Amino acid sequence: MAERRIALTGAGVISPLALSFQEFHRALCEARPGIRRLPPDIAQGSGVQVGATIDWPASTHFKEAESANLDRASQFALVAASQAIAASGIDAAGNRERFGVYWGTGLGGASTLETAYKQVYGAGEWRLRPLTVVMGMNNAAGSNVAVRHGLRGPFANFATACSSSAMALGEAMHVIRSGRADAMVAGGSEALLVPGTLAAWQALRTLAAADAADPAASCKPFDKRRAGLVLGEGAAAFVLEEESHARSRGAPILALLTGYGNSCDAVHMSRPDRDGQVRAMRAALEEAALAPDSIGYINAHGTATSVGDVVESEAINAVFGPAAEAVPVSSTKSLHGHLLGGAGALEFAAALLPLLRGVLPPTAFLDQPDPACKLRHVPKEAQQVAPPRAVMSNSFAFGGSNVVLIAERV
Amino acid sequence: MDTLARIKDLASKEFSLDAAALDPAAPLDKLGIDSLSFIEFMFKVEEEFGVSVSDEDLKGIRTLADLERHIATALASAGKA
Repeated sequence: MAERRIALTGAGVISPLALSFQEFHRALCEARPGIRRLPPDIAQGSGVQVGATIDWPASTHFKEAESANLDRASQFALVAASQAIAASGIDAAGNRERFGVYWGTGLGGASTLETAYKQVYGAGEWRLRPLTVVMGMNNAAGSNVAVRHGLRGPFANFATACSSSAMALGEAMHVIRSGRADAMVAGGSEALLVPGTLAAWQALRTLAAADAADPAASCKPFDKRRAGLVLGEGAAAFVLEEESHARSRGAPILALLTGYGNSCDAVHMSRPDRDGQVRAMRAALEEAALAPDSIGYINAHGTATSVGDVVESEAINAVFGPAAEAVPVSSTKSLHGHLLGGAGALEFAAALLPLLRGVLPPTAFLDQPDPACKLRHVPKEAQQVAPPRAVMSNSFAFGGSNVVLIAERV
Repeated sequence: MDTLARIKDLASKEFSLDAAALDPAAPLDKLGIDSLSFIEFMFKVEEEFGVSVSDEDLKGIRTLADLERHIATALASAGKA
């Protein structure tokens, strides 16, 4: 039996840079910054100064009664997924049982849970909204997508921190390939810029302080001056289809998802491990049956932590060998921040920019590359190139979960 | 505003329905109000009227008219009506 190839036929993005896939790509081409000072009501107490927030016009997407019953993470998910389904032109009603949802999120309904805890522990009011459970649970966002579109096929929710939504995409590819589904919505969302959660992150001492001269430039992956990550929020979603299914209905095909690597460091809960990352990149290349020199762009995990960027640079060099000198690498987190559970899907969307438009998205604000991060950078501004054959997107998570995705030009 | 009008007003906001068109005698599911939505709605009704409806009583509420009777009884027993 010929291998079932997986086509990406629609994409949706809700991000700090833009509220659609196309506009997100335009923003990356322009290196439009999405990081800003947090408003006092969010930053209060935690000491966190900057974040990549979304000015979210909930009322343009939901009736007030509806949005009141949806956590922000679910709202982002619903809109991104609807964009992806609309762009793909797929008729969900025609084949519901073989059309499923794989979603990723780190914390789930953070805002809902924090509101409840604040009420209980802060105000001593123990009478909580009945919808607190179904709004706050980790699988709420993905389930809302399934309910909204009546998608009755395979469902799963991945919660592996920063690799969650990349894993959702990779596993969605496999579930179609296995023959258990013809199409999947896959992606992820995160919305945890709330004071209590920010305080927990601040305690980890991995967040960057505001850049004194330019808060938008606070996240500086691979730069000598890097000071840590900047948290963001948003969602990204894709429609994945078995290729002949997509072609038979004349669907637009953005790219093919051909490689998925998944490994666990099994070494430490937060410290990244070069060997684990190497295994994930090699597994993705092996599944795609590609040599490293076929990869024309890597969207790095690149969180801008002192250790993480060095370890990832070493891992890329270990996998790519001499080809590492030629493969362009950037971390778009410098612009849109770290979406945690949504990061893998959003950055996979960024990685498609070279395939679709022949543009390499940059590592913004990269003025002083760290010699310990020996990579072919795309510093500061986007670069025009001939569209490469294939691109790679890395997602390396707390807990040691490593996920690598490879997409190829149609 | 009487009790039923207040309930209809709350329901119209919660479920984005036209208050004037809400039939108090219609079964809740015919109004498009499912069990989970109704539990969330009751949370707001209890707050609005400052009363508590027991789980046992809740099971007997099938229409907005049923709800009105329960609230009226609860208000009376609390000396609020």
